[in-house]
Amino acid sequence: MRKSRLTAGIVAGLVVASTAACSSGGGGGSSEGLTFMFRGGDDEKAAYQEAIDRFTEETGVEVEVIVTDADQYATKLQAAIAGNKVPDVFYIEQANLQSYVTSGILMDITDQVAEQGVDLDNLWEYGVDSYRYDGTLQGTPDGRLYGLPKDVGPFAMGYNKTMLEEAGIPLPDPDEPLTWDEWLEMLKQLTQDTDGDGETDQWGTGLNVQWNLQSFVWSNGGDWTNEDRTQVTVDTPEFAEALQFFTDLTTKHQVTPNPEQAQTLDTYQRFMAGEIGFFPVGPWDMSVYNELDFEYDLMPWPVGKTGETAAWIGSLGIGVSTTTDMPEEAVKLVTYLSADPTAQETLVDANIQVPNLIDVAEEWASEDGAEPANRQEFLDIVQDYGRPMPAAMTYGAAWYDELWTNIQPVVDGQKPAAEYLAEVQPRMQQLLDESNAQAEQAAAAGGNG
Amino acid sequence: MTTSSATTVGSTATAGLRGSATKPPRTAPPGGGSTRLHRHEQKWALIFVAAPVIGYLAFTLYPVCFAAYASLTQWNGLGPMRFVGLQNYANLLGDEYFRISLFNTFFYMIGIPIGLALSLALAIAMNRKLYGLTAFRTIYYIPVISSLAAIAILWQWAYNGDFGLMNQALALVGIDGPNWLASTTWSKPAIIIMAVWKGLGYSMLLYLAAIQSVPRSLYEAAQLDGAGAWQRFRAITLPMVRPVTFFLVVTNIIAGAQIFTEINIMTPTGGPEYSTASAVWHIWRQAFRYQQMGYATAMAIVLGILILIITLIQFRLNRRNSFVID
Repeated sequence: MRKSRLTAGIVAGLVVASTAACSSGGGGGSSEGLTFMFRGGDDEKAAYQEAIDRFTEETGVEVEVIVTDADQYATKLQAAIAGNKVPDVFYIEQANLQSYVTSGILMDITDQVAEQGVDLDNLWEYGVDSYRYDGTLQGTPDGRLYGLPKDVGPFAMGYNKTMLEEAGIPLPDPDEPLTWDEWLEMLKQLTQDTDGDGETDQWGTGLNVQWNLQSFVWSNGGDWTNEDRTQVTVDTPEFAEALQFFTDLTTKHQVTPNPEQAQTLDTYQRFMAGEIGFFPVGPWDMSVYNELDFEYDLMPWPVGKTGETAAWIGSLGIGVSTTTDMPEEAVKLVTYLSADPTAQETLVDANIQVPNLIDVAEEWASEDGAEPANRQEFLDIVQDYGRPMPAAMTYGAAWYDELWTNIQPVVDGQKPAAEYLAEVQPRMQQLLDESNAQAEQAAAAGGNG
Repeated sequence: MTTSSATTVGSTATAGLRGSATKPPRTAPPGGGSTRLHRHEQKWALIFVAAPVIGYLAFTLYPVCFAAYASLTQWNGLGPMRFVGLQNYANLLGDEYFRISLFNTFFYMIGIPIGLALSLALAIAMNRKLYGLTAFRTIYYIPVISSLAAIAILWQWAYNGDFGLMNQALALVGIDGPNWLASTTWSKPAIIIMAVWKGLGYSMLLYLAAIQSVPRSLYEAAQLDGAGAWQRFRAITLPMVRPVTFFLVVTNIIAGAQIFTEINIMTPTGGPEYSTASAVWHIWRQAFRYQQMGYATAMAIVLGILILIITLIQFRLNRRNSFVID
């Protein structure tokens, strides 16, 4: 009998051990510290580690850091959630906020943030509002707060100052955007064969349709959807004209590397090698671009027929899990990374982002000998004319991705822009309708719980 | 008593292991000792059996049942599931991208016969007495043990339209190579070439082992009867390595149906006009980018059933063609 009790004990022990292993991860497990999951390149990891070390020094709260590469982050976070091992503090994308809130993953941190005396007015409005959600709309100023911005990512146009000066082209005015025609003239002047071997080796620009088309469409009066994000509007003449201008740069005017050269990622490499005149610059590029052999600066994006420059602005947020054992400490980490002046200094000095605090940012922009000199352009985008990416505030991005899936023939000049856009609009509309319907159902289900 | 029980320990232990086929322990000489020992060992046997059974229940059967249910729901992977019946399967029929990605997946399988033919040829070459044989065998096996992600990144560079290794090599013989991964025509062949290269070493090794175990007497007899090299290959080598071929075809098809990493790294957007997207890649994207976990699960189940059907057909075909040499 003793033996059978022993076996029963072992079996029971195995079962208990395995269930314990499944559940112990919940809320970050150990009560000794927080877990923080984020993503980024090497420079970013180092800067964040430094800021977190200081947080531990100041508060005595240990932070276990989980870093992933940018393209694995979403998958790993979702796996952590499915496995009931949600990190206490983690990055959230604007586009995922609604589903995370309605699924009860993200904690409402409105009150704690207020208690900790964070001056939200000194943070970029766009950044904070991106993480507000009132149950039906995201980005409204009255919504409850489910995160704070890790940063805001204004995407400005930049240029190789050294190259323009050598070509005798007057530098673009930081306040007065170029028109498309003026800009095209400059591009043509820059595109040349510098070593006389019969092959073009310097180009005006080299853009990626998926990341750079937005500004052209917006400044030409087009957009992806109507204002309440229910109707896909890519089949308008304004949109088509912008896409056509964009692709003509390559196929008709040939002021960019040709499609084969441009497709293989290397316009970025070519810009850094000093072969390309105009190229977009985000704050995250500064740490690399500041080390290049030539000088560069920022300018407003060239404008289409509205005459108003436009740019997109991304943002990534930091949120707290509802299952955390240490809500107070977790929120403290969020406010520390997002809004503490010392932490911001660490991150900004690493040249990976613009400051989140408005007063610090203004000082940063007017610094003597700043590189790039026109840092103000980043702040103008954040404060004045930046717009969220078209899919940032919809429930899922399938409708938006559909535009890019079959766009290659247009980029290669084999299909007119207007024809393609008319074809793709119904498919995008159907996907947007589906995602809006899902958003409603999710909100209704979340409202009950 | 003590000595007799000591001698029976060994025999009952082996009897217990062999199961009821040998002498049942009940007919063992009377005496409580052996029976208790038998019970004791039976318990341990049960515990050992329990480990894989529990593993199967927890990690295979439960997930499969869960997936079957999840495929009938609308679920974003985070929140509650909403039962929608067969809606996901109905949507699937109208999903053009799922059809394209399935087509791509099966298109990639063109690489399987090519790979098998090449690796058999290599195995025959490696079976001869060559100078530096071990070095060659190692070289061909290196891709197998290398990280797939690293290899995919290397090949992405090799396929670069501008200064990729592939087009530089083609330029040497006067061919102006395409921009492999950005062309709807060449993106799939590009993936196939890479997959064949990656799998070559493994298939070669198995073929090599199979060839070396073919009885020499068969070749000698054939030679006496005047069979040439080609005839010996056709009539002896090929049929003798058939079990290996069968094994490789089945495993390659199953693995090929789940091709993902290469696609995701080499063409992160699914290639121009979805021309490289595989079924698993499409499923992954629906599940993790668009948070349509329920729909993605439905597609995964369809894919699983397709693989099962294909494998069953192969087993049937193989049974019809199999033969035995005594």
